[in-house]
Amino acid sequence: MQLDLINFTKRFGDTTVIENMSLSVHSGEMIALLGPSGCGKSTTLFAICGIHRIDEGQLMFGGKDVAHLPSQARNVGVVFQNYALYPHMTVAENIVFPLKVQKMNRTDREAMVRKYAELVRIDALLDRRPAQLSGGQQQRVALARALVRQPDFLLLDEPLANLDAKLRLEMRSEIRRLQQETGLTAILVTHDQVEAMSMCDRIALMNGGRIVQYDTPTAMYERPETAFVAGFLGNPPISFLSGSGLGLSEAQVAQYGVRPESFGPQFGSTLSGRVTFVETQGREDLFDVRLTTGEILRSIQPAGSGIRLADTVNWGVAHDKLLRFDQNGQRI
Amino acid sequence: MRRINWLGLAFLSPALVMVTLFFLLPVVLTGFFAFTNMSTATGVMGGDYLLNTSTLRALADQGLPKETLAKLEAGGYRVDEAGLAALAAATSPATADELAQLHAGAEFSDRRDMERALKDLRANAIRNTRDRKAATELFKRSILNERFSEEAAFRAALSETGTRPELSDQITEAAFTGWVWTTDNVKLLFALPSTLRYAANTLLYVTLTLAFNVGFGLFLAITTFYLPKGQGALFRAIWFLPRILPPVLYVLMWRWFTWDTGFLSTVSGYLGMSPKNWMLDTSYHAWTAVVLINGFVGASMGMIIFSSAIRAIPTSMLHASEVDGASRWQQVRWIIVPQLAWPILFITCYQTLSLLTSFEYILLATDGGPGRSTEVWSLAAYHTALSNYGGNLEYGLGASFALVLVVIGIGASLIYFRLFNFKRLITKPLIEG
Ligand SMILES: Nc1ncnc2c1ncn2[C@@H]1O[C@H](COP(=O)(O)OP(=O)(O)OP(=O)(O)O)[C@@H](O)[C@H]1O
Ligand SMILES: [Mg+2]
Repeated sequence: MQLDLINFTKRFGDTTVIENMSLSVHSGEMIALLGPSGCGKSTTLFAICGIHRIDEGQLMFGGKDVAHLPSQARNVGVVFQNYALYPHMTVAENIVFPLKVQKMNRTDREAMVRKYAELVRIDALLDRRPAQLSGGQQQRVALARALVRQPDFLLLDEPLANLDAKLRLEMRSEIRRLQQETGLTAILVTHDQVEAMSMCDRIALMNGGRIVQYDTPTAMYERPETAFVAGFLGNPPISFLSGSGLGLSEAQVAQYGVRPESFGPQFGSTLSGRVTFVETQGREDLFDVRLTTGEILRSIQPAGSGIRLADTVNWGVAHDKLLRFDQNGQRI
Repeated sequence: MRRINWLGLAFLSPALVMVTLFFLLPVVLTGFFAFTNMSTATGVMGGDYLLNTSTLRALADQGLPKETLAKLEAGGYRVDEAGLAALAAATSPATADELAQLHAGAEFSDRRDMERALKDLRANAIRNTRDRKAATELFKRSILNERFSEEAAFRAALSETGTRPELSDQITEAAFTGWVWTTDNVKLLFALPSTLRYAANTLLYVTLTLAFNVGFGLFLAITTFYLPKGQGALFRAIWFLPRILPPVLYVLMWRWFTWDTGFLSTVSGYLGMSPKNWMLDTSYHAWTAVVLINGFVGASMGMIIFSSAIRAIPTSMLHASEVDGASRWQQVRWIIVPQLAWPILFITCYQTLSLLTSFEYILLATDGGPGRSTEVWSLAAYHTALSNYGGNLEYGLGASFALVLVVIGIGASLIYFRLFNFKRLITKPLIEG
């Protein structure tokens, strides 16, 4: 089902948290709301599921305005950041709750619970209570509870934030698998760009209560509209520097952006500098190189180059990958 | 190590003193009084030895031989120091001196012999019949109605009456006016039909008031939770007022409300009903009043506890239930109330104990009336021991009433203690690796 948020504004008292935001999610798509902490991601999500009132604007579910409907009437499944499982109910009772309040009959209910417990692979834990589950298991229960009512939309608020690195990796593909299997339209809130890029069809990058760019991960990485987007995406992050450091001078260009993979010996030897930082990441090494102008460029190279701290290197940049920004931070 | 221990003890000592003085001591004293026959008549200190007609009647009931009773009753006359001194004061020292010379130490078993001795004095004969009779009385030495502060003195006087020695223990015991150890109170407690009545009243009182307390407290907590913050706080503050009002004032308001010239009567008067005391006219009304008076005060406590427990429920959980489609009622029924299980249990346990022992609102409102229909156990203990219509305050019996409450209270406390420790055990999370 298509979701359209049109000119949405949200205020808490006198402070406007979201201003005039528009967002469309196509049917079957999974998008990410990505942005730094406090930019309004959760607020947007809560407005969509009806926990927060929408002060101005429209919210269309499949072309129908639902902005005035209470959350009970919206048919969205939400996975909360802390999972919000009901501690006094067993796993099965947690999952069945949305069906129970709909007064679905018992046999249908139980069939649904089994089906979704199998889908998220927790069918062996149905009699436990949330306190007896690990973080990853709780997360799966929350997912099953969100899915069991067959919602029009699945909303996930930082679902992986509380998991350890390995589990996070596992659940990433798990959530994506579930979303694709069920064909649900989903919105994932996250502040982790890797999560957003690896899981979602499109990313809405937010900053200060507005969407600064809404695009596919590749497009956003390669063609960021602003310096903020360029700086937010990419790990290790992009380096910004003036034209003089690169020996370039173009009208209107205030700064250049160089991604770490676009700087290294394979691109020539026009730039000279000293290595001020080395980080070994196993497969790759990460270098900070201080140019003669004092500016720093980051580079990522296959491991085993033998370059050490304080070495002087002469490397070049890939000119076709250079990103150019004007005074306002807009890409040219 | 040692120094720290002493420091800890020093910090603890005020608490220890308080606990001992105000908690332990009353319990110990209750247990002590419960097994005595203390009352206004016996006093709480020692006692004297006194035979009077009612003691004799009691002894006769115990089957004391007739002749012994007659001996105790009769007594005789003896010319002794005390009598002579009294005679000297009543007549003249010379009269007393002469009697002493003639009859010092003499004993007469008959009154006429004593009278004759006084009449036959040579120099100072008492001729006037009335004076002589009065003087005779001064030498009457009967054990009857004579107060002995020492047991030995009483026994000595007893043996002088010629009572058989094997009976003297029984008589001495009956003559003692102070308190003695006894288990009669407990026996009496189980024998009296009114005891059952008080127990039933107590059960009714605790059950109804508790149900009202918890139910109404829960209702207030939930409804004020859904109100906007400021309004909710205001309503809670209003419902808290009865608790901070002095009980006497609070109950006075209720009495005024229900008096035959009070609010209810006035209002019902407009409807053509004749005025009456709405609180005390029937026992149903009395019970309603008692439950409401206690209930409104108790509900405020539940309300505060339940309110904070509800606010401790993470908002995301409430949000989740709304998103899951639960209506307000379903949210209350399935999410909020189940999570209040322990606060509800706690309040129930706590209130049960305090209701069992509290009677001040009933005392002020109905004083157990009409009749004895709202007389609960603790009030009965109070009435028996400290505020009796008859005037004879039976401390011992009252204490045995109270002792039953103490036993129930300690038993219940132990059970609750287990229960709430148990809670800690079962909620300990079991995170799986
Ligand atoms: N109930 C509220 N009252 C007032 N301000 C609020 C309220 N909730 C959120 N805000 C403010 O709105 C802004 C956006 O909050 P939001 O929770 O949407 O951030 P977020 O993007 O989800 O951040 P995070 O990644 O840290 O969760 C923040 O500045 C926050 O302080
Ligand atoms: Mg958030």
